[in-house]
Formats: sequence, C-alpha cells, structure tokens
Amino acid sequence: MPVTVRLPGALRDAVGGDNKVSADGRTLGEIFADIERRHPGFRERVLDENGRLRTYVNVYIGEADARQSGGLDAPVPADAEVMVIPAMAGGWR
Amino acid sequence: MAIADGVRLPASVRDEIVAHAREAGGVECCGLVAGRDGAATRVIRCANVAATPAVRYRIDPREQLAAFRAMDGAGEQLFAIYHSHPATTPYPSSTDRAEAFYPDAAYILVSLRAGAPEMRAFRISSDPPGSEKTVREVALSAG
Repeated sequence: MPVTVRLPGALRDAVGGDNKVSADGRTLGEIFADIERRHPGFRERVLDENGRLRTYVNVYIGEADARQSGGLDAPVPADAEVMVIPAMAGGWR
Repeated sequence: MAIADGVRLPASVRDEIVAHAREAGGVECCGLVAGRDGAATRVIRCANVAATPAVRYRIDPREQLAAFRAMDGAGEQLFAIYHSHPATTPYPSSTDRAEAFYPDAAYILVSLRAGAPEMRAFRISSDPPGSEKTVREVALSAG
C-alpha cells in the first residue's frame, strides 16, 4: 500500500512540481528509491554523496524524526505520512 | 502563492514580527507567516536553534513540522519566512541565499540597526531548479 510523501518547498521541483507524491516501500530508503525510479535526480537532492540525509533536509515519518529512527533504514508503516522538509535557515554571516 | 507583484502585510503581522525582533535583542529571531488565499493571516513564532544565533538562524525543525500541520489544519499555506538581522542591513546574505529552499514563499527580513525597524521582502529562487539562486526584492506594503 503506497504511503503519502509530502515535499514542501523547493523539493517539489524534484518530483515534477507536486508537493505530494505516493510511493511504495517499507523503509525510508525503499520509499526514496521508488520516488527516484519515477523522478530521477530526487535522491541526489535529499541524500549526500555518502547516502546520508543532507543536513538541510529533515524527514519525519509520522511524528518520528527519521535521523533518530535509523535513517534510510527507518521503518515506514503503511498508513504513515512522510514529510520531507527543507530547513528554514540562514543568517547574516 | 503569487508574491511576484508584492507582499501585503496586515499591521498586526508586521507589528508582531517587529515585536519578535525587539524581544530577541542581539540574536536573530525567526518564524513563519501563514496565509490564506494569497493573503497573510498570522505570525507563527519559532525558536532559533542555530549554534550561533547572533549571526545565524535555523528554525527548530520540530516547530517547523508543527507549523506545517497547524497551517494544514487551518486551511492555510506558508506565506513567508521571516528573520531579523540585529545589526546589519535587512538584505539576504550569501548564507540566506544558500539556505533558502522555499521559492514560493516571501523571505521577510527586519533590521533594528537604526532603532526604527526596517523591513524588506524578497523572493529567493533558482530558475531553472538547481541553478544559482537569485534574489529579487518585492514591494512590501501594509494592508
């Protein structure tokens, strides 16, 4: 059963312009791989060269912070909503 | 959200952002402005969790998640992201540009360097996506 992945902000560009996509997978890594199959280049936008979540990307599986739940190995329940949220950050220096 | 032609902020929203900046004093304050049907509705103050908050801001990711959920629940959208520059011009720095990931939102900067608040609004985007980001000031008006 597909889960809903929400992508506010600039990441919607990486999935064709919608800020919400459906994806299949039982872990976050499988979810991202499924999105990558349909939207090549997505993975590079959210993962660094070591395959870890980029520092400016926060991912929540329901209320769980994916970084605290196993990263790409984090389990994704069938009824979960995944939020991939770019950071809001900056500063004068 | 169509912000290309300018950003209108109700006085209550503008006053709230200025109040937040004053209360934050020498550190950068930050938060969101929610909107409905293209009009700003309210300020959602957020905690600045940057390691060096006098010169950087990073909205607490948990508060960001909660804000998105609250806006969804209220039928609102993200209208703007604001932060203060306590001692410098209210113009996006290179850090502000590099860390801007919301091309559909207005970026509102407020400075209290001169005592009286200075507030300006910008759009920061990459076109095409992934290219170097550009900053475009948009007119800020009351209403």
